Amino acid sequence: MNSDKASDFFLPNFCERRMVFAVVVLAELFAFILTLAQASYASEPWLDLALISLFMQWTSLSGAAVLCLLRKWLERLEPVWAIVATYLLLLLVIVAMTEAAFVVLGGTMFIPRAGNHLDFLLRNIAIGGIVSALALRYFYMQQQMRKRLQAEASARLDALHARIRPHFLFNSMNTIASLIGSHPEQAEEAVEDLSDLFRASLGKENHFLPLAEELYLTHRYLHIEGLRLGERLQVEWQIAYGVDTLLLPLLILQPLVENAVYHGIEPRPDGGTVIIGAAKSGDELQLWVSNPVVEAETITPRSGNRVALNNIRERLAAHYGEQATLTMSSGEERVVVRITLPLQQGRETK
Amino acid sequence: MRVVIADDETLARERLKRFLNDISGSEVVGEAAEGGRAVELCQQQRPDVVLLDIRMPGVDGLEAARHIITLAEPPAIIFTTAYGDYALQAFETQAIDYLLKPIRKERLEQALGRAERLSVTRLEALREEGGKRARTHLSVTSHGTLRLVPLNEVLYFQADMKYVTARTRGESLLLDESLKSLEDEFAERLLRIHRNALVMKEALVGLERDNDGGGVALIRDVSDKLEISRRHLPEVRRWIKGRE
Repeated sequence: MNSDKASDFFLPNFCERRMVFAVVVLAELFAFILTLAQASYASEPWLDLALISLFMQWTSLSGAAVLCLLRKWLERLEPVWAIVATYLLLLLVIVAMTEAAFVVLGGTMFIPRAGNHLDFLLRNIAIGGIVSALALRYFYMQQQMRKRLQAEASARLDALHARIRPHFLFNSMNTIASLIGSHPEQAEEAVEDLSDLFRASLGKENHFLPLAEELYLTHRYLHIEGLRLGERLQVEWQIAYGVDTLLLPLLILQPLVENAVYHGIEPRPDGGTVIIGAAKSGDELQLWVSNPVVEAETITPRSGNRVALNNIRERLAAHYGEQATLTMSSGEERVVVRITLPLQQGRETK
Repeated sequence: MRVVIADDETLARERLKRFLNDISGSEVVGEAAEGGRAVELCQQQRPDVVLLDIRMPGVDGLEAARHIITLAEPPAIIFTTAYGDYALQAFETQAIDYLLKPIRKERLEQALGRAERLSVTRLEALREEGGKRARTHLSVTSHGTLRLVPLNEVLYFQADMKYVTARTRGESLLLDESLKSLEDEFAERLLRIHRNALVMKEALVGLERDNDGGGVALIRDVSDKLEISRRHLPEVRRWIKGRE
């Protein structure tokens, strides 16, 4: 947890050698800019550069040192307060270094160049304040961008996971490996089934297909799982007449069935029956998948149920808005997931 | 080397069996499709190694392991799994050997070669990292044989001198665990009613006053009346109220 938070912090780590080097270089560049800006009326530009550099280096390195030392404390603050505190700390360093310059160099050639004490102090605070604000803004933006990139990467990984379904993939691979020796024809079929399924799940997302094709994919899926689970997996089909050509988004039904097998059949020593149904009702298409209830107390609960359902729910919402619903109801004996979609005839869109 | 195979999938077991037949010096002495059966086989056959699938219906692999290591002469345990379960990371940190399915023959041979017994502490540590799941069964040793009793059958636990017993509808079972560890593991399902007694919440049917004004707990299916200590009485009452 701690290290996660540290990498989330908006300030780079000023304790690192790389960062210290960057601070030195930037401070020097800034010293150049300041010198150049006043070079038109300065009589001894190199001396100016030397003095400004000296001051800049001391101030920026002290600032870095302070941020390095107080990093742990700053990390613990709320983000907003951390930013405010960092800003105030930097201003404090600037004031302290200005005063220190007066004490150390008081009465030397430095002072005449600096102008009077108060004027010098105010100018430094103004310049330092603006530069610090810009720097903090930059660090903050950079952190936001880093965060967004991380979020995107993990979302992409999740989506890939959902498509590849590692649990299913590796179980199927194991089944195939077992079959090759003893039942080569079945192994061959399993490879074909697996290819069909992955071609579908790695294909275009916004694809609509007739229910018959989705049922075909579901059959392929159940065939593989049947090899693996044997007698434990029983399937009952309740497909009404005349629904074959109705259109629905790709992979809506099959993941529901997979979910039912994973949560309702696999954890039961004796397995059970998955019921898969489809029927027209008015101007709606109804799909349902049910599996036996698994008593949570006797069997290790499996996580991830919501994830699969939420994924389907989101895709339904993307396609149909509020016209489609997905509900899950748990009775005494069976868990039923029901999907209602607006009717859409195959021939009209294809 | 005598091996017991535990995996709920017939094909997976067959493949392992084929490999073990090819590996010289190894012999399959039992097959289980479920964790409870695996524990039984380990006890009857006294194998040198047990191959335990992590995901099994009923008693899963991790729980079976916890029961197996309580046997008098526990076999070495090698876990198998098809996909990176949450537990795998814990396995890595605990340096516990596991095989990923489909298992390679050479890897199996290797694992058999260096299989060693799991220590209780390592398995406990595994449980801590694996999300601290409670067991679904208790192991009970009677007349030298180990038996798994579903936690669902237990009505209450009672400590008496130095023994802890689990009361089911039909019998009292001697456990080799402390009340404290039971309370920690099954915190959600147990209610402490006395320094020496924990009651399964679903077995607690009522509360009665005894002659001294103290409380007595009534337990489902049995006529036992358990004393509720003064200290725990308010909480027991609150719990019964909350349920109604």
